[in-house]
Parts: sequence; structure tokens; C-alpha cells
Amino acid sequence: MPIFPWSAPGDVPPVGDPAFDALLAGELPPEAAATGLRPVAAAIAALTGAPSASELAAEAAALAVFRSEVGRSSEPVRSRRRRYPVLTSLLSAKLAAIAVAATVTFGGAAAAAFAGALPAPVQKFAHDTLGAPPAHPAHPATPSGPKGSGPAAHGLCAAYSHVKAHGSAQQKAVAFRSLAAAAGGTANVTAYCAAVAHPGTSPTAKPAGQPTSHPSHPAGQPTSHPSHPAGKPTSHPAGKATSHPTGKPTSTP
Amino acid sequence: MIGEEFAAVLAVAQDGGEAAFSVLWRDVNPALLRYLRVIAPDAAEDVASETWVQVVRRLPDFRGDEGAWRGWLFTIARRRAIDEARRRSRHPVASLAEVTGAREPGTADAAELAMEKLGTAAAVAAVASLPPLQAEVILLRVLAGLDTDSVARIVGRSPGAVRVAAHRGLRRLAQILSATGVTL
Repeated sequence: MPIFPWSAPGDVPPVGDPAFDALLAGELPPEAAATGLRPVAAAIAALTGAPSASELAAEAAALAVFRSEVGRSSEPVRSRRRRYPVLTSLLSAKLAAIAVAATVTFGGAAAAAFAGALPAPVQKFAHDTLGAPPAHPAHPATPSGPKGSGPAAHGLCAAYSHVKAHGSAQQKAVAFRSLAAAAGGTANVTAYCAAVAHPGTSPTAKPAGQPTSHPSHPAGQPTSHPSHPAGKPTSHPAGKATSHPTGKPTSTP
Repeated sequence: MIGEEFAAVLAVAQDGGEAAFSVLWRDVNPALLRYLRVIAPDAAEDVASETWVQVVRRLPDFRGDEGAWRGWLFTIARRRAIDEARRRSRHPVASLAEVTGAREPGTADAAELAMEKLGTAAAVAAVASLPPLQAEVILLRVLAGLDTDSVARIVGRSPGAVRVAAHRGLRRLAQILSATGVTL
């Protein structure tokens, strides 16, 4: 970062100095600022500091408002989804890739998602789109991990093949990166996806609460169920496991 | 800031996806609260929740990139802050400057500011002690991440005036902070 020189190190530059523009754009960190501007640079960095607990406390209330206005239970949203099934299924594939890629590190992302170890909203996101375990603090997260036969693998492979068929080059790249990370290297991807077993028969994969409903998630995720990307009521533990056996088309790959 | 995933997250939120909405909310609510602590000091939480009600109601119709999203949201917040000030005051309020002008500029709490490492609350308090336009412009540039033209539209001034106000605010901030002995 350039140091902006002026008459004396402790002085503050006049109005119009490019150092101020750089500060406002977040491009002048304290360590790069001249002495007179270091406290201001520190103040600016502090302004955009990490959120405190109190600044995130109202989330439940905001979600309640969201649920009542835009939530999935309202009819207009469902009909909107039916009108654009291709868009939502493409989005779900994109999000399957993004949900994994957007978490902590590429290498650990898929593992983290499937060990239920992500921060709650991101875990919920991964849950809704990839069939990862739900964001359930009580769960001692069985490390089902991105094994070749687990539901995670199926989600990643399915997301990638969907994006390969319908997505842009950038989406493909993101999805492939996630898949390669989970497979432990780009060379392993083919074998990884080939080893993916058909879902729906892994009673060991999930702790109490959501047994069979989840393995079938990834299968249906990108292709058949327009309503899935929005993360369907299946994310609510109460009684949702029962909805799958009653004939949702998600079990057919 | 959410970055390149913003469009996808927005689309899912507009479609009713709660997890996606959470991502949007967590990304911007802290900045929103910090902004409101300065421009609506006694009503920050109330105005924030009113803002989110408006945002959620109009969410399905919103179109734009992340910059447009933040500009839209902070514009709504600003209007709610003015409305709230009108509600609380017996006199009609014409502008935000009247709302925030009640504070004496330059009288930051020295104890808060004289810290070795400047925390977020102290930084917000320091900005809050600036004259209203300078404070607001700095917050919209830094917290909301908006460019000068967007800020100019929101506060109803020319981009040149916005830039001058921001620079003046930063100069004053530098003087306040060095006077109270803040170091890094």
C-alpha cells in the first residue's frame, strides 16, 4: 500500500487528499497509514469489526417476520416456483456448490458440512440444499463425512453433473472445486462418484430424528424437486420424516 | 459483504429460503445497527426492526446487485429514522441533520476513546460526535460500503459535497483521536 506523504508525519492532510478516499474505500489499513492518520485508520477498521452477540440477537424475530411475509408456507411463493422450475433447479445446483464452497476452507468444507460442524445458518443452508445434517446443536454430529458412499457424496456428484449439463463455466468450476476437495483431489473424482451408493438405505448415516428423508435429498435435489432449493419444511424436525415415505418423487435418481 | 454468491443467495431468499435470508440478515444487520446508533441514537433497535419489516415485505420485488441491495436497505433505514424522530418530537423534522444536530459536535467521551485498541463501539461513538452530515457520510461509505454517488443520492447532496464532508469528518476524527491519545 502506498504511503501518502505530506509535510510532517504527525500532521493530518488537507481535504481532498487521496489518503482519505483510500480510507473510505477500505484500502488503507492502519499499518500502511502515515502516523497522523493511523488512529483514523484504526477507527475505520474498528467500524467494520466483527459483529457482537447483541448485534445478532434479533435474528429470530427477523426470521419470524420473514416467515410470515415471504416464507414457503405462503401460496404465491409456491406458484412462483412452479412457473420457473428450470430456474429453481439450476439455482439449487448452484447453491449446492456454493453452500459447500462458501464455508470455512475448501478442503474442510464438505467434511465440516457433513459433520454438522458449520455455523448454524450455513449448516442449515447446507442441510437444505445438500442433505447435510441439520443445524442441530444437540446432535453429536456423526462424522459420516464425505465418504464415497454417503449422502454427501451423492449431493456433490449430483450437483456437479447437473451444473455440468446446465450451468455456466464459473458454476462448473465452483462445483468441481467442492467435489474435488471432498474427493481428496481432482484425480479421485471419478472413483468418488462411481462409489456413490444409491441413497435411502443408510440408517447409520443420521442420528435420531431424520432418518430416511435425508439420504433421498441429494438424489432429488438438482433434478426433480423444484421446491427443494428453498429448503422445504423438511428442515423442521417435527414430523417431517414422515412426508417422504408418502410418495415424494425424490427417491428416484 | 457477501460477494459473488450474492445473486444466488438473494434469489433463494426471495423464493422463501430462510437459510438464505439468514445469510443476508447476518451480513448487513450489524452495520445497520451501527449506522442507526449514530443517526437514531435512542431508537436504533426499533428502527432496525421496522427497516427489516419493510425490506422483507418488498423483498420479492427487489432487483439489483449487492451494492444496490445495501443502498436500498440503508435508504429505507434512513427514512424510518426520520419518521421515528418525527414521531418522538413535537416539532416537525425536516431533515436528518435536525435529528442528529442535537448532539454537540466534538464532545466524544474521552474515556471511551482513550483506549489502546479501538473497539467497534468506541469507533461508532467517535463518529457519532462528528457533525451530522460528516458522520452519516462516513458511515454510509464505510459501513454500508456505498460509493460516493450512491451516498450522494441517499443524503440528497452532490457527490463533491459528499466527498468534502467525508474528508472533513475524517480530519476531525484524526484530531479527536490524537487529542485523546489513542494509539495502535
